[in-house]
Amino acid sequence: MNDMTPTREQREAKLEGMGCKRKRVEDIRFTQGKGNYVDDVKLPGMLHGDFVRSPHAHARVKKIDDTEALKVPGVLAVITAETLKTVNLAWMPTLAGDVQMVLADGKVLFQNQEVAFVVATDRYAADDGINKVVVEYEPLPPLIDPFKAMDKDAPVLREDLAGKTTGAHGPRKHHNHIFEWTVGDKDLTDAAFRKAEVTFKEMISYHRTHPSPLETCQCVCSFDKIRGELTIWGTFQAPHVIRTVVALIAKLPEQKIHVISPDIGGGFGNKVGAYPGYICAAVASIVTGKPVKWVEDRIENLTATSFARDYHMTTEIASTKEGKVTGLRVHVLADHGAFDACADPSKWPAGFFNIVTGSYDFPTAHLSVDGIYTNKAPGGVAYRCSFRVTEAAYCIERAMDILAQKLGMDPAELRLKNFIKPEQFPYHSALGWEYDSGDYATAMKKAMETVKYSELRKEQSALREAFKRGETREIMGVGVSFFTEIVGAGPSKNCDILGIAMFDSCEIRLHPTGAGIARVGSKSQGQGHETTWAQIIATEIGIPADDIMVEEGNTDTAPYGLGTYGSRSTPVAGAAIAMAARKIKAKAQMIAAYKLEVHEDDLEWDIDGFRVKGLPEKTMSMKDICWAAYNSVPPGMEPGLEAVSYYDPPNMTYPFGAYICVMNIDVDTGVYKVRRFYALDDCGTRINPMIIEGQVHGGLTEAFAIAMGQEIRYDADGNVVTGSFMDFFMPTAVETPHWETDFTVTPSPHHPIGAKGVGESPNVGGVPAFSNAVNDAFSFLGSTHIQMPHDYWRNWKAAKDLGAVA
Amino acid sequence: MQMNDSQRIPASKQEVWAALNDPEILKQCIPGCQSLDMSSPTEMTATVVFKVGPVKATFGGKVTLSDLDPPNSYRISGEGSGGVAGFAKGGALVRLESEAPDITVLHYDVDAQIGGKLAQLGARLIDSTARKLAAEFFKSFGEVVGKNVAAGV
Repeated sequence: MNDMTPTREQREAKLEGMGCKRKRVEDIRFTQGKGNYVDDVKLPGMLHGDFVRSPHAHARVKKIDDTEALKVPGVLAVITAETLKTVNLAWMPTLAGDVQMVLADGKVLFQNQEVAFVVATDRYAADDGINKVVVEYEPLPPLIDPFKAMDKDAPVLREDLAGKTTGAHGPRKHHNHIFEWTVGDKDLTDAAFRKAEVTFKEMISYHRTHPSPLETCQCVCSFDKIRGELTIWGTFQAPHVIRTVVALIAKLPEQKIHVISPDIGGGFGNKVGAYPGYICAAVASIVTGKPVKWVEDRIENLTATSFARDYHMTTEIASTKEGKVTGLRVHVLADHGAFDACADPSKWPAGFFNIVTGSYDFPTAHLSVDGIYTNKAPGGVAYRCSFRVTEAAYCIERAMDILAQKLGMDPAELRLKNFIKPEQFPYHSALGWEYDSGDYATAMKKAMETVKYSELRKEQSALREAFKRGETREIMGVGVSFFTEIVGAGPSKNCDILGIAMFDSCEIRLHPTGAGIARVGSKSQGQGHETTWAQIIATEIGIPADDIMVEEGNTDTAPYGLGTYGSRSTPVAGAAIAMAARKIKAKAQMIAAYKLEVHEDDLEWDIDGFRVKGLPEKTMSMKDICWAAYNSVPPGMEPGLEAVSYYDPPNMTYPFGAYICVMNIDVDTGVYKVRRFYALDDCGTRINPMIIEGQVHGGLTEAFAIAMGQEIRYDADGNVVTGSFMDFFMPTAVETPHWETDFTVTPSPHHPIGAKGVGESPNVGGVPAFSNAVNDAFSFLGSTHIQMPHDYWRNWKAAKDLGAVA
Repeated sequence: MQMNDSQRIPASKQEVWAALNDPEILKQCIPGCQSLDMSSPTEMTATVVFKVGPVKATFGGKVTLSDLDPPNSYRISGEGSGGVAGFAKGGALVRLESEAPDITVLHYDVDAQIGGKLAQLGARLIDSTARKLAAEFFKSFGEVVGKNVAAGV
C-alpha cells in the first residue's frame, strides 16, 4: 500500500451513505430557480381551463347560460355536467367508496363547488368567460354545524343517495350519515368504566384546516388523437394510482396513459386525491385535441380541494386514583363535507384513528366513528400525518393532560406511569395494532432533563402566585406531548387503495462505469428523496451516493408504486430500495468470487467492495464489479447488474417522540410567546440527519400554524371566511419560533434498515404540545379544555370567560 | 348580520313616507346605485356597484316593498347577484315615528346576507362595510328629504 491508498474512513466518507448529513442534491436546481413544475410545462397550442364556482353552500342549479361566455374572444368551450354525461363522467368515484360530482349536477353542495369549466386560449380569456356564464340558483338551507347533521329535520344533502341504507362501509343511519366504524371491546370497556375510581368526559375538537402547499393543485392533459394516448403532467403524490384511476373511469387502456409528476412544491396530503380539475382538463383535451392546462388559484385551493381534520372527539378515560389508566372510550363525529373523498386506505373509513390509545398501556378501549355529510368542501386528507393519526394523537395527548389535571398529578409523571414498557414490544394494543418497537420512558426522561422540567414547574407556580397577587398579567404553560405514530402503509393483509395493495417498489440499474440509476415508486414533494434514496444504496452496495441518480414520478419508467403520503416512503419504498440493492449485492458477490477465484462464502463485504476473508489485500471494488458485470460474468450467468424489488411490509412502523413547549400568554391581549420548543424524535435508523432536522422544522412550523390559528372556518350560511392567506394563518419566519431538535434511536425490528419515517411526526406531536401549553397555562384559572386554534382573540376570550379579564 | 339604528329627519311623517316610496330619491341615496326602475308600485329593479375590500362588483337585482302600513312602516328588501363576486340579499324594516309635526324619527332594522367571493375575501370587512353602507343610505336619505322639504319640493 502506498500513501495514496485511501483509508477506510476516507472510503466510507466518499460514499456519503446512511448517517451522512449529505447536502440535498435537488436543491442545486431549486435554489437557482431551475425546478421544473407543472406550471412550467408549456406545450404548443396549449389551452387553459378554469371553473365557474358556486357562491352558495347549498342550492339547486336551475339553469346555466353560456351564450355570452362563448362570445368572449378566446373562449372555445363551456363544459357542464350535461357535457360530461355524454362521456359518463359527470360523477367520479372517490377513494373512500363514495361518488363525487365532477361538475354540479342539478345541485351544488358546498361553496366554490365546480359548476362549469371554461376552456380558452389563455387564462385571462377563461376568466373573462367565467364572468359571463350566468347560473341561476335556487338557494336551499345549508347544513354547516356537524352536530345538527343527523337531526330529524336536517336538510337532505345527497339526493343521489336517496333510499340507500348501506354505504361503502356498512349501514347508514340517516340521510346525512356516511358510515359508522367501531373498534374494540365495548362490553369490557363499559365494565372498566363502571369499576373506575376516576373518569372524565370531554369533547375535544380538531378543527378543519388545510394542507395549503405553496404550489396549488394543477395539471396539463394532452391527448394525442392519432395514437390514442393521454399524457398527464400533474401535481400527483401518487402518479401510478392516478394512472389506474384514469384508466378505470375514462375507459382508456392503461398502457396509453402516461402520468408524469414533475417537481412538486409541497403536497402534505392535498395532492393525493383526484379532483374535478383533472377530469375536466382531460375531457377538454380529448374533445379539442389540444393540451389543456388547469391551475388552481389560492382561494380555490383553500376552499375546494381537500381539507384536513374536522374531527369532533368525545373522549373518556377510566383510571385508578393513583393514575393508572384502565379504559378509553372515544366517539368521533367526523365531518366529511359534501362527498366522502377521504384519502385513506380503502378499508379504513377513519384511517388509522384506532392508534388513539397512543403510547399508553390501556387494558381495554372502544372507539366508534360516525362520518357525516355537511355543506362543506369534501376531503379529509392526512395533512402531513398518517391517516387520521394526528387527530388521534391530539385526542389522547389532550385527554392525558385532562386526566392529570383531574387527578392533581403532573402530566409528565402520569405519562411515565402509563407508558408501554420496552419489554412489552411487540405490543398488541387494545384497538388492534401491533407496535413494533419503542423505548418511551428513556425519550420522555431525556426531554424532561434537557428542558429542566421540574424547574419550569417551579417557575410556573411562582408566576401563578404572582398573577393571583396582581403583580403580573402573564400566565405560563408547559405543554407536554408524547406521541406514537403509525406509518408505512402498508401490509397487503390490511391496506389497499381501490384494491391495489400498498406495497412500494424500486428498480436499480448499475452502469458499466460504476454509476447507476434508481427508479422508485414514491414521489418526493420536497422530502429530498433524490438525496436520501441514493444514500441507502451507497451504504448497501458501496457506490457513492453522488454516482446514483434517483428518478421518480414518471409512470412509464418508474416501477408501480403507491406514492408518497402518510410517511410511507422510507418505511415502504425505502425498504424496497434496500432490498433491490441487496439483490444486486448478491449477484455482485458471485461475480467477485468468480473474478477473485474463490468461493462466494470466502468473501466478506467491506465498505465499497468484497475482500477475501483473511487476505485483506485481495479485494474487488463494486466499481470494478460493475465493469465485470458487462463483460466477464461467470459462465451461465446473465450479464448486467440490475434488480427490481416490490416490498410488501410485514407491519407498520411506529415512530415516537417527546415534545415540550414552554409558552407565556398575556391575558389582556391574548398574545402568546413561545419561549422554548424542544422536539425529541425517534424515527429508528437515521438516513440523513440534516434532512430529518429540516423535516422536523417544517412539520413543527405547520403544527404551530394549526394549533395557534390556521383554520378553514365557515359562517352559518356556508361562506368560507378564511379563504385566503389574509385570513388563513400561514406563518412566516417572523412568527415561527425557534426549534430545538433531539433524538433517540430505536430501530424498527422488521424494516431492512431499521428506519421508521419522520416527515410527519412533528405535525402529529407538535399540535398537542402547543395546545397543551395553552391549556396548561389557563388551567389554574379553572378551565379544563379550550378548543383550538389558540389565536390571540381566543386566548383573550378564554381569559375573559375565566374571569381573568374584566 | 343584523344592525339597527335611527335617523332624525326634519320633515313630516307623510313627507318621509312619500320619499320612501319615491324611486328617484331611493336611487339618490342607495350607495353605488346606478339605476333603479319601478316595475310596479312595490317592485323595482336595480343596479348597484358594491365594493368590499379588494372586490368590486356590479350587482343586478330586484327591490321589493312589502308589509306596507302607510304612513308608518314597510319592509324594503333586495336580492342581487354579482356574478363571480357572489350574491347579496337583505332587507330593512323601516318604521316612522312622529317626534314633532315637522320632525320624524326613522327607525331601521337591517338584516343582510352576503355570499360568494365577497364573503370570502372581505370576511373581516363585511360587517363594517355593511354598517357603513346602511348608515350612509339613511343619512343621505334624511338629508335629501330634509333639503327637499326646506326647498318646498
